[in-house]
Amino acid sequence: MSSLLQVYDLSKSYHVSQNIFSRKTIVALEPVSFSLEAHQTLAIVGEIGSGKSTLAKLLVGAETPSSGKIKLNGQTLQPGNFKQRCQHIRMIFQDSATTLNPSLTIRQLLDEPLYLNTDLNETERSELITATLKKVGLLAEHMNFYPHMFSGGQKQRISLARAIILQPQIIILDEALAALDPSLRSQMINLLLDLQQQMGLGFILISHNLGIVRHFSDTMMVLCNGQMVEMGNTHELLKAPKHKYTKKLIMSQRFQLANK
Amino acid sequence: MNLLDIRNLSIKLLSPTAPILAVDRVSLTMKEGEVRGLVGESGSGKSLLAQAIMGVLDDKWEVHADRFHWRGQDLMRLTPDERKQIITQDVAIIFQEPMACLDPTTTIGEQLEEAVSVEKLSGFFWQRGKQRRLAAINLLHKVGIKNHEICIKSYPHELTEALCQRVMIAMALARRPLLLIADEPTAAMESTNQGQIFRLLASLNQLKNMSILLISHDLENLTHWTNTVTVMYSGQFVEAGTTEQIFNTPFHPYTRALVDSSPRANMHIPAKSRLMTLPGSIPILQHLPIGCRLGPRCPKAQQACVQAPKVKNYHGHQVSCHYSLKDSY
Repeated sequence: MSSLLQVYDLSKSYHVSQNIFSRKTIVALEPVSFSLEAHQTLAIVGEIGSGKSTLAKLLVGAETPSSGKIKLNGQTLQPGNFKQRCQHIRMIFQDSATTLNPSLTIRQLLDEPLYLNTDLNETERSELITATLKKVGLLAEHMNFYPHMFSGGQKQRISLARAIILQPQIIILDEALAALDPSLRSQMINLLLDLQQQMGLGFILISHNLGIVRHFSDTMMVLCNGQMVEMGNTHELLKAPKHKYTKKLIMSQRFQLANK
Repeated sequence: MNLLDIRNLSIKLLSPTAPILAVDRVSLTMKEGEVRGLVGESGSGKSLLAQAIMGVLDDKWEVHADRFHWRGQDLMRLTPDERKQIITQDVAIIFQEPMACLDPTTTIGEQLEEAVSVEKLSGFFWQRGKQRRLAAINLLHKVGIKNHEICIKSYPHELTEALCQRVMIAMALARRPLLLIADEPTAAMESTNQGQIFRLLASLNQLKNMSILLISHDLENLTHWTNTVTVMYSGQFVEAGTTEQIFNTPFHPYTRALVDSSPRANMHIPAKSRLMTLPGSIPILQHLPIGCRLGPRCPKAQQACVQAPKVKNYHGHQVSCHYSLKDSY
C-alpha cells in the first residue's frame, strides 16, 4: 500500500551570478526523502535558514524543485500543475492578518478557490462556505464581514477554513501557531486535531516550539543548514536524540522545564 | 525598600465619546535585584504599563495612580522634567523587535556612542571621541559580543535578530540602570537564541544586581527565569506571587487555564489529546465586559462577578477573584 505523500530526494539549490562568467550555487535544501500517511502529522524542526520553509514551498508548489519527485497517493505531482496540486495540498501561514485580502469579504475570500477549482453553482458554493465556517467554529453571518473585523484567533480560523474548503488531503502549517496567544493557541490545536480525525488530514507542521511538536506530531524531522540530520518517531526522538544538533535544540527548551 | 511601588494604576484612553479604561487598577512592586515576570495575552495592557512607568504616554492617555513611588519618591508629584531626569537615569527599556528599533541608516557603533552619557566622559573635547568609542566597545563586550570591530561597522540589517537584541541591551546598559524593562525581548526568535538572551539578562541581574521586569505573553517561557510573576488579563490585575506559587498552585481560574493550556507544562498528558482551554476570545477595548473582565469566558463565573473583585493577599500570593481556587489545593 502506498502512503498518502511520498517524497524522493527532493532538493533545491539557487544559482546566484556573481559576475558575467562565474555563478555561485547556494544549496537551500539537500535531498530529503520521507513519507506521510493519512491521519498523521509530520513535524519539521530547525532554525532560520535550515530549509524548512523551502521544503514547505516545494511541497505546495510555490517553487520548482531542482531534483526529486513528489508522489501523492502514488501519483507523481508535476511541477507547475497547480490545478492538481492546489486541491490536495494547502498551506496556512504564520501571520494570518497579512494573508487575507483586506478588500474582500470572507464570502469572496472563500468563494475564490471554489470558483476556480470546482464546478459547483452559486448556491452550492454558498452552502459549502457556510458548512466550512461552522466546522472551524465561526457563524454563517461572518460571511459578510471583512477580515479587519476579526480578532487574531478568528483570522487564523478563516485561513484554516480557506485551507480545508477544497477537501484537501494535506495541510502545511508554516509556523501557523507561533503568533497566537496561549489560550487561543490551545483552542486552535484542539480544532486542528478534531479536523484531522474527522477528515483524515495529513499535517506537516513547521514549528520551533517543541512542546507543541511533542503534543501534535507523530513523526519528526530535524533540519540543519538544509540537511536532514535526524528523523523518527517524535517520542523516541525527543527521548533519545542522536545528533548533536538535535540535542542542543532540545536542551535549549528542556532546561526551561527543569523546575516543574 | 522597594525599588518601584505602584498601587492601583489606571490608564484611560481619552476618546471623543467616553474614556476607555485600558488598564484598571493594577498594582506592581519591584524589589532591588528581583526578576519579575509580567504575563498577559495581547491587549492585556502590559506594554501600556511599561510605557506608563517610563512616562512616555502622550496626551491621549490619562494615567492615574494611588501610589507611584520610585525608591521612595512620589513620581506623580514631580514635574515632567524632574521625572524625566530620574527615569532616564535609572530605568531602561528594550523592545520587542530590535531590528525595527535600531536606526537603519547609521552604524551600530555610532548609535552606541550616542547612548553613552556625557557625565561618563572626562578630559578635553578632543579626547572625548576616543573615549566614546572605547565606552561603546566596552558595552559590546559586556553583552557578550567579542567581535566588536565588525559589529561596530555594521548596519542593523547586517546583523541577526539576536545580535541586534544584544546591541539594544548594550544601549540600555549605557547609563547603568537599576531597572531594565524588557518588553517581549525574545518574541519571534529561535529557541536557541531565546536562551542566549535570557541567560544574558539573568547574568546581568546576578552580577550587577539589576532588577528586570520581563514582559511576555507566554507563561511557559518565563518560568525558568523569574523570581516572581504578575499576571494580567485585559487590563486587569489577575494574580501575583512567586513563580512556584503561580505555576504550581494558581489561585485564579485564568492562570489555571494558562498553565493547563500549555502543552509544554503538561508533559504527562498523552499526545494528541485535547488541551484544556477557555472558550471565546480576548475582548476588544471597545466592548469590555463590566466587573471582572474574564467573566464571559470564566468557568467559575457567578453573579457576583459583575462587580470587580478586590485583591486578596495570602502570604504574598495576591489574587483578584471572588471564587479563587485556593481551597481546592
